[in-house]
Amino acid sequence: MISGRLRFDTSHATEFVDLTQRVNDEIQKAGLRTGRIHLQSLHTTLGLAINENEPLLLRDFEHLLERLAPGNGGYEHDDFTRRFEVAVDEPVNGHAHCRQLLLTGFLTLLVEEGRLVMGRWQSVFAVELDGPRHRQIAMQLDGEFSPSGGDSAAELVEMEITRQLMTDPDPVAVPMRRLMEAGGKRLRPKLVQLTSRIGPRQEPLRAASLAAAVELLHNATLIHDDYVDESTHRRGRPTVAAAEGAERAIAVGDYYFAKATRLIAELGNASVATTMAEALEAICASQIDDVAQRGAFPGDHDSYLRVVRGKTAALFAAACVSGALLSDAPADVVEALRRYGELLGIAFQMADDMVDFSPDSGKPIGLDIRQRALSLPLIYAAEDRSVGKEVRTLLAGSLGDKEVDRVADLVTTSDALRRVGDEARGLVEEAVQEIEAVELDGLRPTLVGLARSAVDRTA
Amino acid sequence: MSVQILDRELERLEALWADGLSDSYRSYVEVVAGYEPEAQPKLALAAALIEVGIRLQGLGGRAAPPPTLLMGDLCLARASRLLADSAGQALQVAFAQAIETVSAAAASGQRARPVRDLLVHAFAAGR
Repeated sequence: MISGRLRFDTSHATEFVDLTQRVNDEIQKAGLRTGRIHLQSLHTTLGLAINENEPLLLRDFEHLLERLAPGNGGYEHDDFTRRFEVAVDEPVNGHAHCRQLLLTGFLTLLVEEGRLVMGRWQSVFAVELDGPRHRQIAMQLDGEFSPSGGDSAAELVEMEITRQLMTDPDPVAVPMRRLMEAGGKRLRPKLVQLTSRIGPRQEPLRAASLAAAVELLHNATLIHDDYVDESTHRRGRPTVAAAEGAERAIAVGDYYFAKATRLIAELGNASVATTMAEALEAICASQIDDVAQRGAFPGDHDSYLRVVRGKTAALFAAACVSGALLSDAPADVVEALRRYGELLGIAFQMADDMVDFSPDSGKPIGLDIRQRALSLPLIYAAEDRSVGKEVRTLLAGSLGDKEVDRVADLVTTSDALRRVGDEARGLVEEAVQEIEAVELDGLRPTLVGLARSAVDRTA
Repeated sequence: MSVQILDRELERLEALWADGLSDSYRSYVEVVAGYEPEAQPKLALAAALIEVGIRLQGLGGRAAPPPTLLMGDLCLARASRLLADSAGQALQVAFAQAIETVSAAAASGQRARPVRDLLVHAFAAGR
């Protein structure tokens, strides 16, 4: 589901604004191939209609509306002496409201092969009944989207990442390109781009530059993490440290840490630069805590949350905040998005921990056990009344294939995965509540959908 | 310049202060003299953290063991935040470019200019 707003200005009353091309543009931009687009007028004197865009016919409609609800028809709505709380600039527009009743306030249109299904003479109109005004129509698209998403914003980020990597020296660019081309969910840049559309200042190119920098920064931290964790593979390919050696991995990580910092500084928004720098600091500090806690593996719930807040959630929150700041979103919206991002980041990490025990993940089961990585399912399994003792005993010893398989079995047969799943979904619902009360310019359903899909996954 | 105002900025890095960070910091005090007085301690500390962080990581030499690498990472991140708090855009960009230069050289197996030279140059370019 993708949502948004169509905005336009009208010039006079009973104006038929042909939206057909704009609606088709939105469908193309969203990459909707087959499905529906729902339109809903957000005004009581703006109707919607499907009909023929022929000037004389439009005049006929205008005359029809005038006959059915004449402008001088004497409407009780226009008797301000009998109404409560009448604004000083309240228009005399009873006729416009009545005419809107004759039209409709919402439409659901079918989409096939990436375009509206329309008859030869059909057009989609917004009908201004009381203008001139600034108008908005809420829009939701659902159905099958093209694999590339047709999402021009996401494509813009990919192009920006590609462009940045092309300008870098091969010894750093080649390993980073290999890592980034291997996949990744690109959730953080997506959050940047979505939140950069909330405030009044909407600049897709600057948002793409910030989103690309955030993704480069995230991948730079992964390169160092993989060396620290002695990971041999990431996204199905050898890690930079495994393929190129630790020395090269440190250099590549440093290079992209610096480059991302530079790209963010070049945006010239001090609040964005500070937000991202604080997040990076939180990530590094929590990495130190994470490694320090490995002596007490698998740890406890409190220490898990402390580490995950820095290690994962800080960048999610910063992505949400920095996008919103870039768009000059109001302070209450920025704060709500920070909380949304933090809760989503924690839930995302919990879901990621569960993937380690999923046979559909495409990865060998039990990688986190083998690497003694922080993992909430392991913490819960170690606390479990029936299997906890055996889990703790196994984790305290050396972990060969047999022991790893046994721990994985114990985790999956215990209540641990259900508990983690419930907790992650609970956090997502909390995240959704955080953005309930603020104006998000029609993006709430997209942010809600993104949050829920981030935890309902097996890979 | 008072080192006390930097106390908060040294959280988790206290051990490094006695182990070369303070010397490095003092060496930048004169270099930052042309900047706003209230920004000077943070800018000097940012430069010192980059110098020490890169050394800890073993960048351009033998890779540091993981815990030491992470401490080096924290030095760079703290420096980045100090710059975001106290430096103008030009100086932030110049510092980032200095790290890009050193790390690109390290990845290529080439010898780069000493990081101190690059940072002093960055202070001049970022003014």
